[in-house]
Amino acid sequence: MDFALYLRYGPALASGFAVTLLCWFGGAALGLALGFVVALLQRLSFAPLRWLTRTYIEVVRGTPFLVQLFVLYDGGPSFGLRLDATSSGILALGIYGSAYFAEIFRAGFNAVPPGQVEAAASLGMAPFTILRRIRLPVMLVAIVPALTNMLIILSKETVVLSIITVPELMYQMQTMAAETFAAFETILAMAILYWIMVELVARAGRVVERRVTAFMTGAA
Amino acid sequence: MKLQVTLDAFPYLLEAAGTTLWISLLGIALGQVIGAAVCLCRVSPLRPLARFGAVYVSFFRGVPLLVQLLLVYYFLPYVGIDVPPLVAAIGSLGLASGAYVCEIFRGALTAVPKGQAEAAQSLGFPPAAIWRRILLPQMLRISLPALVNELILLLKASSLISVVGVTELTRSSHTFAASTYHPLEIYLTAAFIYLLMNLCLAAAGAMAERRLAAG
Amino acid sequence: MVDGALIDKLKRAASRRSVLTAGLAGAAALTGLAGASRPARADTLAEVKKRGELVCATEMEFAPFDFLVNKVYTGVDRDLIDEVGKDLGVKVSYLDLPWTSVLPGLEARKFDFVIAPVTITAERLKRYSFTVPIAEATVALMKRKNDSSITKPEDIAGKTVGAQKGTAQLAQLQEFAKTLPKPVNVKEYVDNNQAYADLAAGRTDAAVGSYPNLAYAAAQRADAFAMVMPPFGKPTYFSWVGRLGDEDRSLTDAISASLVKMQDDGRMAAIQKKWFGAASPLPKTVPAPQV
Repeated sequence: MDFALYLRYGPALASGFAVTLLCWFGGAALGLALGFVVALLQRLSFAPLRWLTRTYIEVVRGTPFLVQLFVLYDGGPSFGLRLDATSSGILALGIYGSAYFAEIFRAGFNAVPPGQVEAAASLGMAPFTILRRIRLPVMLVAIVPALTNMLIILSKETVVLSIITVPELMYQMQTMAAETFAAFETILAMAILYWIMVELVARAGRVVERRVTAFMTGAA
Repeated sequence: MKLQVTLDAFPYLLEAAGTTLWISLLGIALGQVIGAAVCLCRVSPLRPLARFGAVYVSFFRGVPLLVQLLLVYYFLPYVGIDVPPLVAAIGSLGLASGAYVCEIFRGALTAVPKGQAEAAQSLGFPPAAIWRRILLPQMLRISLPALVNELILLLKASSLISVVGVTELTRSSHTFAASTYHPLEIYLTAAFIYLLMNLCLAAAGAMAERRLAAG
Repeated sequence: MVDGALIDKLKRAASRRSVLTAGLAGAAALTGLAGASRPARADTLAEVKKRGELVCATEMEFAPFDFLVNKVYTGVDRDLIDEVGKDLGVKVSYLDLPWTSVLPGLEARKFDFVIAPVTITAERLKRYSFTVPIAEATVALMKRKNDSSITKPEDIAGKTVGAQKGTAQLAQLQEFAKTLPKPVNVKEYVDNNQAYADLAAGRTDAAVGSYPNLAYAAAQRADAFAMVMPPFGKPTYFSWVGRLGDEDRSLTDAISASLVKMQDDGRMAAIQKKWFGAASPLPKTVPAPQV
């Protein structure tokens, strides 16, 4: 083990970590927003739209992220979409995540007992108020752990972006590995840095979980 | 685009997809069992068990699967444990998947209204019956979409097992792309095969969802 | 192996209920593992001969050196190592592994030798042993076939050029770029196949790499790519990789000796003609690192 290596590559790894966080954050925000819209569209009783969103979900969810990134980045220019590597990466992560998030939101909607919604409606609550006060709080309880899972998976999909030269963490570590052939040092850095990132996301998830379940435990 | 490249590669990719499929299915099965067991630990009132569950999820969800595979296959020999490639592949997939499955189950369990279990208890239902008749069916119904997500993710994550020397669909597509210099055609073909497998998983999930909703 | 103090640290960390600390301590224990001195082993060459089999690994994504044709391992490396096998009197078997796991696999003794072509650098010499050259790796340029603005290497001034990270070719490109009137925008790839894809898509204007790799790619995709002649920079060579250590030295030496013998008896020239169209002599000693 050569720990001096970490000093030498420290700045590169740190900047890679920052780029990974940026891509993850951008991709996750885009994916959550897009996923929520897709989940809402699926609830509309307009069949062609339901069919279309279903196809979107199945195709995006069913194919490897690497291929989607490849099509967007290498195939994009042939139909006039020329983005730089990092923007392509964030966009691809957002699209990829949205399919999974849409499914999680759908499950969340299903977890709300219909009786509660009917009761609120009979009390004269407006549909938007029902969404905000009844549906969202109940669905969040059911889906925060699954959302955290997916956010973690998305954070690890960022490694694929190294292929199209996004200077993220994996790219920097592969540079270190290629220049020095230090295999163990690279694997160790990978294990620790990604673990730290995931642990941060998981902890944030647990804080949110405690907050959204507070009303249940408070009532008990 | 050259169609010939796709046609040449197709039979080989299909064969490699067979490896992807059976290893993933075993990984999925192992992941479900581990996930359920770890979830029980995690919600257990016994502190050491709950603690174990938390550490398990943190490690197996936190450390990249690639690293886990490398650890199992290339580091365990240092302490005298030599794991065969297929065991390392299936074991690592199952162990990692278990962490995600545990969290999905746990989320679903929290979402089942507490009053239901309490009501059943006050009516004199034994705990086993409460689990089987009340908690499990609702948990499954709530967790199914996220579970299907996870199964699909696992099937795709199985591409990483090539690091222990198992040739599966992604590896096969890479070697084909590298020898033909037509990556787009080959990767799209591989993606199509992944899509077919995942549509089957999604269809099975949708069927189970309908049955649970009806029951 | 792992000393008691580390295990205690691990336990203490775990009992402090901090998953992160436990993880870090675990990682430290792992480090101890990787660094721990292993018991002396039997000589690897003797072991290979006793077994009657030399197990080699490479990433079969590097035409014309290592690639698969209808699932059969093919290429310069295969032809060379098969001859080495004959010289040593053993059967040769080959494993295809993604590059990430090739070096860890070598360290963990999952196989005996790495037959991937790599260039020797000072940094790499600290960790692995290298054979005498197996092929030339002099830097060359490849462009899009229809791009008439590049006809000689100097024309890349002011353009974007892709190269694989950590390679000697990248280092030579950077040297060469300094001599040009306008700066070259160098884009670094972790995967040379992606560098070709970006060249085809027009994201870069040229790709730099070893002459054999690029010449083969340009011949395979003559519809898309063309070589820019002549190759430039200092002569560079590819070697194979073995473990560093007393018990492994004899194997690396025996393989080097066999490679030199192949140059002397004409087998090397025959393989070079088959794959590169022409034979050229290689150094018969391990070259000093240039980077």
